[in-house]
Amino acid sequence: MVPIINELLITFHEKRINSIKTKINFNENYLPIKLQNITEKSEKKIKFLTLKAQERILPFEIAAGVESDYLKGKYNFHLDKINDKYYWKERAVKASASRKNLDPKDQVQTLLEEKNLEIKKLNNIYFPATSNDAKTEYNNQKAVIENELNSKVSLITETLNKKIAVTEALTQSKIDKLIVAKARLNEKLEKLTSKKEERYSLDQDVVLSIKNLSMHFGGLKAVDNLSFDVKEGEIFGLIGPNGAGKTTVFNCITRFYRPNSGEMYFKNIYGEVVHLNDKQVHNIIKEGIVRTFQNVEIVWELNVVDNLLVAAHTIYRSGFFGHLLNSRLLRQEEKVMRKKAEQILEDLSLGAYKYAYPLGLPYGILKKIELARTLMANPKLIILDEPAAGLNDAETDDLAKIIKKIQKDYNTTIFLVEHDMGLVMEICDTVCAISFGKKLAMGTPKEIQNSKIVQEAYLGGE
Amino acid sequence: MICKNEVCNDRKAKIHQITHHPYFGFFIITFLMLMVQLLRVIGVPISITLLRAFGITMIYIIVALGFSILLGYAGLASLGTAGFVGIGTYLLGYFTKNFGLSIFLVIVISILGAIVIGGIVGFISLRIEGMYLAIITLGLSEILNEVFKNAVSITNGTNGLGLNGILVIFKNPVVVNHNTIFIATAIIMFFMMVLTLNIIKSPTGRAFLAMRNSTSAAQAMGISILKYRLLAFVVSTVYAMLAGVIYMSYISFSIPTTWSLAFSLNILAAVIVGGSQSIYGIVLGTFMIFGLNLGVLQQFSFFQNNPAISVVFNGLLIILVIMFYPGGLIRLVNTTYHKLKKIVLKLMTKWRVYRYGSDN
Repeated sequence: MVPIINELLITFHEKRINSIKTKINFNENYLPIKLQNITEKSEKKIKFLTLKAQERILPFEIAAGVESDYLKGKYNFHLDKINDKYYWKERAVKASASRKNLDPKDQVQTLLEEKNLEIKKLNNIYFPATSNDAKTEYNNQKAVIENELNSKVSLITETLNKKIAVTEALTQSKIDKLIVAKARLNEKLEKLTSKKEERYSLDQDVVLSIKNLSMHFGGLKAVDNLSFDVKEGEIFGLIGPNGAGKTTVFNCITRFYRPNSGEMYFKNIYGEVVHLNDKQVHNIIKEGIVRTFQNVEIVWELNVVDNLLVAAHTIYRSGFFGHLLNSRLLRQEEKVMRKKAEQILEDLSLGAYKYAYPLGLPYGILKKIELARTLMANPKLIILDEPAAGLNDAETDDLAKIIKKIQKDYNTTIFLVEHDMGLVMEICDTVCAISFGKKLAMGTPKEIQNSKIVQEAYLGGE
Repeated sequence: MICKNEVCNDRKAKIHQITHHPYFGFFIITFLMLMVQLLRVIGVPISITLLRAFGITMIYIIVALGFSILLGYAGLASLGTAGFVGIGTYLLGYFTKNFGLSIFLVIVISILGAIVIGGIVGFISLRIEGMYLAIITLGLSEILNEVFKNAVSITNGTNGLGLNGILVIFKNPVVVNHNTIFIATAIIMFFMMVLTLNIIKSPTGRAFLAMRNSTSAAQAMGISILKYRLLAFVVSTVYAMLAGVIYMSYISFSIPTTWSLAFSLNILAAVIVGGSQSIYGIVLGTFMIFGLNLGVLQQFSFFQNNPAISVVFNGLLIILVIMFYPGGLIRLVNTTYHKLKKIVLKLMTKWRVYRYGSDN
């Protein structure tokens, strides 16, 4: 009885710790967006105030005959308007004259005169005769207005700085509180776990461990007593002839199939070892395993960024009612996620396709979008099912570069099944060869290339 | 730099912000509906049948919105809509007549009931997909129809259950003006549209679409099929039952023959004809299937005397739309809008060339 309660408590605490971690992550990511919004708002305000002040100074400038940039700009604006108006009038006159086979000279002349008159009027408004009194008046007024403006602007910047400091402090205090809560929970968890008998353990550098995995469909043994370890941070390739059971292994790891026997252990994003056999299909992603499929599985009705957001589904904290009412938390989360998705797309040089719809994009791009999508869920292990299938040589080279980049920049382990031996030998750190569900050999690409058993399996024995 | 221009731009930007707000279109639709009522109040001769046609169409828009979440987003075909709307009508009728419950309480009860019924059907949908699900829900609808016919103590059987315009708003039964309910219906429709848009644009809507495209990919992305199938059915059932309650309060009469298979098929047709993934499309489709019949065709004595012909008319419309515009009528509207824009631009340039001469 007691161990069951213990177990339940442990899972409860783990869940709470995970939610706290996501909260901390969200707060950290949302801070820059919030700050940017605040600064943009106050910048807009300052711009508006300066414009207003300049408008107030303008009559005095005109009276004093001071040619400031603002005055010149406004004058030029009106001048351009007049020029434009008479340009079109002239064209209309010429066109109508040519239609009637008349000489437009007289009419053009009168138009020119009218235009000159209007420009003169404008000049009179903007550059009237000046007097010294007006100059002193201008200087006085300018000083007053600029003082006012400066005080207002400094007030705004002050409040802005205050706001920034407050929001930073608030977020920080929130994060601190969360960290404290997390530490407390961790302590409790440690106490609980110390009571319990040994949990699963893995070697330090191993991420995924498959032990004696077997899977048969009826009489066919698709996977037969297979065991291997995937080390942290490496690119692991699983190769084998057609029908060797590679995809079955994948489907067992991601729980689409339930293996007949065998154990699978995985060190998840939080550094805990979990028994994958106990997990459900849709919970695998929460542990940090993301997979792609042989044929691209993209949502065709959504644009590329939204497609990426689908993979972030488990990271959202807002629930259905939040979604229904478009709650504030959801809007904040959407901003954070969108920024992250755009960042990932830029990183993988897919920035041009951000808001494109996937229907009609080249196959190579779609494959890359699928790769980008896996990164949205903060994965620890990415499982790629034949990433190069259907790509040409140039696209495959590109893909190899991107896979290497993902492994390096995002600190992930990559586990792939591939038929393209060139790609496997180029990027993989470790290769495991299987045939008819049985392991043939495992080692570096060179070792596999030179292995006789593997050659036999591929080319047939003598 | 130039103040006048800046202010001008600012105003333009504000107007742009309002007109391009995602809820603006819904507001316009609701406003037009309210205008119909207002014109009648002012004294414009709008017949009571036409007004009722608008009211009923608005109620059916709510049903179609729920159905579009189910069909267009979650990809689940269901023919049980009529039964659910029927339950909503009888809930209000029964509770008002026998217990004198407030309509708000009945709405809460109907939402709770919808959650239970939607949950059950959603649970069935886990094992059965596509056509088979449609047949199962069809069977459910027929069972419900038989229940409506035979549970005489609750539904008054084939004679139909009438309330004679009596409703219990808070405590005492009162005779409620049709116009009030019309306005309330328009406002509820507006909020249902807003809620639908919120669901569609949120992670939940994306999860529905992912599920519709490929269940295995959705599962790999962390989307629980159980949860979202149940959710889709519950949402659509809540919409349907709420619409049923509003229908009963507006029409004050419910008869089992209304809630037959034909109604479910008409809702399906409305969603497909309009465009199953666009809210405006659904409004358009519902007006095409129900509004045209109720509001326009029934005004002519020819169609009144031969009701079967209007069904033929609907059938022809569906065939034409599905043959030429598989994306729904909203696609047609969009393409014609863009074409018209192009034509207008062309004419403008032609006129300019005539007025001002060509550029060189």
